[in-house]
Amino acid sequence: MPAHTGGGFDDLFVDGADWESLDDAVGESSITINMGPQHPSTHGVLRLILDLEGEVVTRLTPVIGYLHTGIEKNAEYRTWVQGTTFFTRMDYLAPLFNEAAFCLGVEKLLGIEAPERAQAVRVILMEFNRIASHLVWAATGGLELGALTMMTMGFREREHILDLFESQSGLRMNHAYIRPGGLAQDVTDDFVERCEALLDLMPRKIHEYEDLLLRNPIWMERLQNVGVIDADTCQQMGVTGPLLRAAGVPWDLRKAQPYSGYEQYDFEVAVDHAADSYARFLVRFEEMRQSLKIIRQAIDTLPGGPVMVQDKQIAWPSQQSIGPDGIGNDPDYIRHIMGESMEALINHFKLVTQGFPVPAGQVYSTVESPRGELGYAITSNGTNKPYRVHVREPSFVHLQSADLMARGHLVADVIAVVASIDPVMGGVDR
Amino acid sequence: MTEVTIPGLSADPLTLEAIERRMQDRFPTLATHIQYGELTIHVTPDALIEVLTFCRDDDELRCGMLVDLSGVHWPAGDHVIDRQPSTTGWPEYRVSRDQGVIEVLYIVRSIERNHWFRLSLPTSDENPRLPSATSVYASADYPEREVYDFFGVEFDGHPNLTRILMPDDWVGHPHRKDYPLGGVNVPYENDKFIPPPNERDLRDIVGGEGP
Repeated sequence: MPAHTGGGFDDLFVDGADWESLDDAVGESSITINMGPQHPSTHGVLRLILDLEGEVVTRLTPVIGYLHTGIEKNAEYRTWVQGTTFFTRMDYLAPLFNEAAFCLGVEKLLGIEAPERAQAVRVILMEFNRIASHLVWAATGGLELGALTMMTMGFREREHILDLFESQSGLRMNHAYIRPGGLAQDVTDDFVERCEALLDLMPRKIHEYEDLLLRNPIWMERLQNVGVIDADTCQQMGVTGPLLRAAGVPWDLRKAQPYSGYEQYDFEVAVDHAADSYARFLVRFEEMRQSLKIIRQAIDTLPGGPVMVQDKQIAWPSQQSIGPDGIGNDPDYIRHIMGESMEALINHFKLVTQGFPVPAGQVYSTVESPRGELGYAITSNGTNKPYRVHVREPSFVHLQSADLMARGHLVADVIAVVASIDPVMGGVDR
Repeated sequence: MTEVTIPGLSADPLTLEAIERRMQDRFPTLATHIQYGELTIHVTPDALIEVLTFCRDDDELRCGMLVDLSGVHWPAGDHVIDRQPSTTGWPEYRVSRDQGVIEVLYIVRSIERNHWFRLSLPTSDENPRLPSATSVYASADYPEREVYDFFGVEFDGHPNLTRILMPDDWVGHPHRKDYPLGGVNVPYENDKFIPPPNERDLRDIVGGEGP
């Protein structure tokens, strides 16, 4: 870590080899060090500039933008359906939430609602995604704070959830499975079976993690009273999600403004009061349990029927059963467009090449992502492409308050603070 | 897990019409409209801080959180936005404006009352300048830097208005519709490959002087 002393005209720059001379030169003054963007414990490419007084942090300045890929700008030149494939790549640990939030916004503009079966499948997959995301948080957070076993265990169980996603969408991550109007395709025949297996497995595993961490003195010592941010400050800083709930506010968009039929499931909002990193750990683990509870109910009441709206102007023709050879398109569908109906072929061609127009207007659609309120502010000008899509990314907003949480703590606690915020740089930089 | 209730969360949330009335009682000149079940209040830049403070402090509204701040560029001129080649029956997007506008959208939310609405502020795209909301909502810090970075809107009173996602020495504001897109032509002369210009050096296209 290169370092230089802050303030004054006699700034001293040290680039690693001459630490011995630093001690004398610094004396009483403060020191500024750079951490990241390739530091192993900064969750990807996050760079932090730390002002230190001894080993105590007096100011933390996040520097972001290393992973900026211009997704919002790119989406302005793609059709609405293609937008899903872009937005799913933002917060890559919660791809289904990005897809769902975007599609809910587009559906709001179109004035349509996905069929019940599609909504239930969305809920099931989103809740599994929430568990997978929290598992990565526990895994990487554990790794950074010295609980290496948690890392291996977290990624191990996440792999089972990704297997489920792969079996349904074809991809482990970045699925583009949720589409405006419903889903890309219906779930497979063994979907319920696969979910049941996970529902059977996960409670035991969550118990196992808790055995490891819940009363672990090192874990508690590293997290308790670190990174405290109270409820009022949370609101002022725009902090939502597990951080806000750990500060004692039971705010959850699934309860407050239900979408995709969340109002029909019985679950509790996980809340804690300590507002420190340990409370966030407790909240996230309780959320995993509540997610399992939601999935259980959603599977038990999984309705039948189509998974895409019946409007041929919108329903993208990817909604097909796979042929007996396992690949390619549904033979019935191909026969219909190639042999029976010229209009169907024209419609297919136009939908695939041009997409569908979406009425002009502005909407803001939100879902409760594993990190907090994920919002899509969509502006349409009535054409087949978004005019502007802005994403309210919880990680981006939460990073502002890292400074408040880290001040007065030791350098080592910065790791715990960043871990407890759980930023995903793909979402922060977009 | 202990049960916590926030005062007001269980109470009936305010309807959009009630919020609209409340705002118009206090600021009679503001235009409002409801579309797609969402309330938008059109604010003028000089009234912004007063309106935001009212949203935050009013006993009825109690919007404690500024959740989102974003920009939309509506350029001037009379032209069709060049997108997919339009065929019969497809909507074309024609812009006809005397003056280019950058619309900055603020979304404020009340956790206590469970409602949210949008504030919309226009500013000229030639000299975009708005008062900073950071004095009312601290969370406006990063989003305002983002809007500055992408649209060039200068927020007066912002503590540290620098680029946030683009590199510090970047020229131009990429989310403006008049920002030149990439797409570098790769010319060939017979079988000889001529290397294209450096794509990242947009100074030639944008004509900026650099930082």
